[in-house]
Amino acid sequence: MNAIEVHHVSKSYGAVTALDDVSFTVGKGEVFGLIGPDGAGKTTMYRILCTLLKPGQGKATVDGFDTVSQMADIRRRVGYMPGKFSLYQDLTVQENLEFFATLFGTTVEQGYDSIRAIYNQIERFRDRKAGALSGGMKQKLALCCALVHQPSVLFLDEPTTGVDPVSRKEFWDMLQTLKKRDITIMASTPYLDEVRRCERVAFLDQGKIRGIGTADEILTRFADIFNPPGIKHAQSGEVTDENVIEVEHLVKAFGSFHAVDDISFSVKRGEIFGFLGANGAGKTTAMHMLTGLNQPTSGTGHVAGYDIRTEHEQIKKHIGYMSQRFSLYEDLTVQENIRLFGGIYGMSDADIASKTDEMLERLQFAEHRHDLVGSLPLGWKQKLAFSVAIFHEPSIVFLDEPTGGVDPATRRQFWELIYDAAARGITVFVTTHYMDEAEYCDRISIMVDGKISAIGTPAELKERFHQPDMDHVFTHLARQATRSSD
Amino acid sequence: MKQFISFIIKEARHIVRDKRTMLILFGMPIVLMLIFGFAITTDVRNVRTIVVTSSLDHLTHQAVDRLAASEYFTITATAPTPQDAERLIRSQKADQAIVFSPDFASRRGGIQFIVDGADPNMAQQWTNYATAIISGSDASPVNSKMLYNPQMKSAYNFVPAIMGMLLMLVCAMMTSISIVREKEKGTMEVLLVSPVKPLMIIIAKAVPYLVLAFVILTTILLMGRYVLDVPLQGSIVWIYLVSTIYIVLALSLGLLISNIATSQLMALLMSAMVLLVPIVMLSGMLFPVESMPRVLQWISAIVPPRYYIEAMRKLMIMGVGIGEVLREVAILTAMTVALLAVSLLKFKTRLE
Amino acid sequence: MTLKYLIQKEFLQIRRNAFLPRLIVIFPIIVMCVMPWVVNMEVKNIVVEVVDNDRSTLSRQLVHSIEASNYFIFNGLQPTYQAALKEIETSKTDMVLVIPQNYTRDLTNGAQPQVLIAANAVNGTKGAMGNAYLSQIVTATVNPDIAALQSRVSTLFLYNKHLNYKVFMIPALLAMVMMLMCGFLPTLNIVGEKEAGTIEQINVTPVPKWAFILAKLIPYWLIALFVIVVCLILSWLIYGITSQGPLWLVFLLAMPLALFWSSFGLIISNYSDTMQQAIFVMWFFVVMMLLLSGLFTPTRSMPDWAYATTYVNPMHYFVDGIRTVFIRGGGLQAIAHQVLALLGISSVMACWAILSYKKNS
Repeated sequence: MNAIEVHHVSKSYGAVTALDDVSFTVGKGEVFGLIGPDGAGKTTMYRILCTLLKPGQGKATVDGFDTVSQMADIRRRVGYMPGKFSLYQDLTVQENLEFFATLFGTTVEQGYDSIRAIYNQIERFRDRKAGALSGGMKQKLALCCALVHQPSVLFLDEPTTGVDPVSRKEFWDMLQTLKKRDITIMASTPYLDEVRRCERVAFLDQGKIRGIGTADEILTRFADIFNPPGIKHAQSGEVTDENVIEVEHLVKAFGSFHAVDDISFSVKRGEIFGFLGANGAGKTTAMHMLTGLNQPTSGTGHVAGYDIRTEHEQIKKHIGYMSQRFSLYEDLTVQENIRLFGGIYGMSDADIASKTDEMLERLQFAEHRHDLVGSLPLGWKQKLAFSVAIFHEPSIVFLDEPTGGVDPATRRQFWELIYDAAARGITVFVTTHYMDEAEYCDRISIMVDGKISAIGTPAELKERFHQPDMDHVFTHLARQATRSSD
Repeated sequence: MKQFISFIIKEARHIVRDKRTMLILFGMPIVLMLIFGFAITTDVRNVRTIVVTSSLDHLTHQAVDRLAASEYFTITATAPTPQDAERLIRSQKADQAIVFSPDFASRRGGIQFIVDGADPNMAQQWTNYATAIISGSDASPVNSKMLYNPQMKSAYNFVPAIMGMLLMLVCAMMTSISIVREKEKGTMEVLLVSPVKPLMIIIAKAVPYLVLAFVILTTILLMGRYVLDVPLQGSIVWIYLVSTIYIVLALSLGLLISNIATSQLMALLMSAMVLLVPIVMLSGMLFPVESMPRVLQWISAIVPPRYYIEAMRKLMIMGVGIGEVLREVAILTAMTVALLAVSLLKFKTRLE
Repeated sequence: MTLKYLIQKEFLQIRRNAFLPRLIVIFPIIVMCVMPWVVNMEVKNIVVEVVDNDRSTLSRQLVHSIEASNYFIFNGLQPTYQAALKEIETSKTDMVLVIPQNYTRDLTNGAQPQVLIAANAVNGTKGAMGNAYLSQIVTATVNPDIAALQSRVSTLFLYNKHLNYKVFMIPALLAMVMMLMCGFLPTLNIVGEKEAGTIEQINVTPVPKWAFILAKLIPYWLIALFVIVVCLILSWLIYGITSQGPLWLVFLLAMPLALFWSSFGLIISNYSDTMQQAIFVMWFFVVMMLLLSGLFTPTRSMPDWAYATTYVNPMHYFVDGIRTVFIRGGGLQAIAHQVLALLGISSVMACWAILSYKKNS
């Protein structure tokens, strides 16, 4: 008997077709990948299988039970981690975990083995409220909550978005051990290395299954989407010797916890600077200090020639910023958003109008200028947010995980925009969890536990740590640090 | 059962951790009770009065003295002419003027009250009180007996009203927001997919608010009894029983709102618009229903707190038996059953 | 000039909102068409029953005069006092008048008969007012001296000759409009931006604090002013009630109140993390200020400590001032101190609001 059987399932919301005649089966104990771009219908598929939605047409069974008529039986034996799963912010780490354990009829002790690898990393924060954890830490806790029980079928909707490479590896190792206990796993992910760890993969696009096969088959068949030719690392713009960011002994403490612990570095004008680090290493906090959102506890820093302590309002005039959370106004149209942010930076109406045309032309967005931003797909939103962040030609742009949860093709387009900006002399300061993106940077630093543990060009770092690629460099450094913090 | 308890504990933690909301939840009844109990009265007190008279004969003098001696009136000035008095009233230096005609003593001349009529209720009461004092007959032919509330404290009227409003607020608003919050954050999906039965989810959500409602109810009753001296005439058992029906009604209303609302903001606005405004306006809490136009009286007939407040006034203050409030209790029960049925039927075990 | 763009943005967002435009239209209609009928503390329709133990011509006369009064609803005679009390208990009547057995004899002998009035005083105001009126009728019938005095008393009610409760309430309702439009809406808006994360994006731009705050407030001020104008027009159309004093004074009072409420809302949203918190805290203060403002009950009847709070309660100054202008036709001089007090309080709050908004923490 197959663990999951889907026969000709269709589903539409009003005029929008989310799923169109989808059929596939997943065998018992299989690790099955459901991949596809944002808006392909993956979440709808999960919800139908979890009995949260009824299929419009067709039939689906999970563990032999029908998703429509045998809802209660299915709910007793599946586990589900939705894409926007966000825990209870006002409960502590421990309380969250215990609650979910009890909810699924087990205890943390019983399930401890299956979550140990990840839980180890957050255990020292067990009495902290989930709301006070950093984005990646929350995701790790969510993973623990999803894995603490052992269902017969586990549905994971993009579980590793925003999680650092090391933890992602550990997470997938854990899934492998679950497989040994005959648990069927269906997961989706934008990361190619994760796709490769699935036994079979279905590629879903615009509600239709384009292909089912082994990971390699699918990735080669749709190479133009999943494996676009890497961007040539063009020597961007002119990197001068002038430092636009200079930081010395910067510290940010929340109580006794040093989120950023004495970091020093500098970034040259025109550089693309990759700011890497594991979850909770302090990247976002450091970036908040550089952009004038937070005051440092001690240390000095200059951005675009201004002191981050006293001249933060001056700094804000010369930088662009794109935060982790999507932050354009969803209830304004594309053009209205551009106009607003152009106006905020003091551009004239005529300037805004001509630059808007030019920018939309370049993005091939012209026909969508009157669409509400909220109605655009995620990839477009992020390209738009970036274009808006550099609309006023800042001297530096800060990007906080700009490509989280986006498919490879879109990410590639995004990096073309970054190179474009760099060619115009804009310094780019970017954080990312994609190690292929790290290779695109001129120089990178790797932060571990609030400290910068390595800094240099990708080539230099690879050589220094004798690793084949950035992924290994990162894993090497981050693993070291985890051990020392235990 | 273990799941159920851990669910309730989780829910209780949400409530207890939000310190500010907790503070308001308990601060509100206390402050409201104090305001209604001590600060707000429609008693006639300190009415700034001007005496207009040209001759200070004995009788006039006596009348003025009596006015001044009473706690109701403060003589702020004497003015020579009614015009002067009127000017003083217009500039808000006085509330009323009493004009004694020059031949007042001779029993032919009269008295004229010039009253700031902006507030009609108070204006009428002032003249009534003043007439009574000036006429000065100690031996009134009337022996008045103020039943249930001899000192005519407004607290007697308002304590049941505060109960009606706060219980509805805590139960309906808080429950709906807490359910909608889980929907918004995506945790509801996980709860639904978990082995816990949907009915259990609802009950577990409701229990902490039920407890909270009882704590607030008890706080109000205790404060009413020991701080405001509002007697609890009726049977405590019945007061709690009727309140329980009302609390369940409020909880099902909250559940119903959470079915319709898609965001916390919407749940908030709906509870404020659909619940709070009609309750304050149409339940007879502040404004007597019988003074409203017919149409509004009809509308107020479907506002549940109206019956609860009425029943509580009778049970608590008048101390009548349960038999006298059967009508109110029956209507409340019917409403509760209907609302509970609708909200349970409408509760979505799926996302659509 | 960034202000222009920010204000434009706010208006676009308000227009796109599913709820706000409707609220702006429906709110003044409800405030003006429903509220004046509801917000009515007038005591009317008091039901009276009589126990006539004398059953004489004179006692029947007394009953007739009660029946004739359009203040009371006469609900018939009861055989005994106990039966009448039962009627009160079952809420069939509000008051009972008991005429003693020797009523006629006492009256003719020149002695004063003792008439008993029993009133249901659960609602203190209703009990007191009913009692006062019924006593008046009885006294006038029983005591010729007082009857004579009463006939010599005339009353001139200034400003509100027909003692219309709506005249008293309508101007004060404008206070509620300001409170909702300028207090609650901007608060929800700012906490909403906090929850959506867009405020962080604004905070890394060079927008000055005051520009951001002003851009949040100006649209709501304009909306509030618009709503007030609509309310004033409705009150004229429906009830024929118009301001006795100059209209610009109404706006002179409304502007600082708008500033107060919006600053107050901002302060609360700056200190709140969630919408629920913001609304609850806001609601708490709103209820307190409203109850102690004299909108419903006279402030002068309050005990001294409660009266003292009205010195810092802007709603009190507004309600006082607007009634002086609207009902009494007062000029600038009559409300000068209210306007000054409002300005003082609201500018303190505005400073606090700007200081508590942190672009950099």
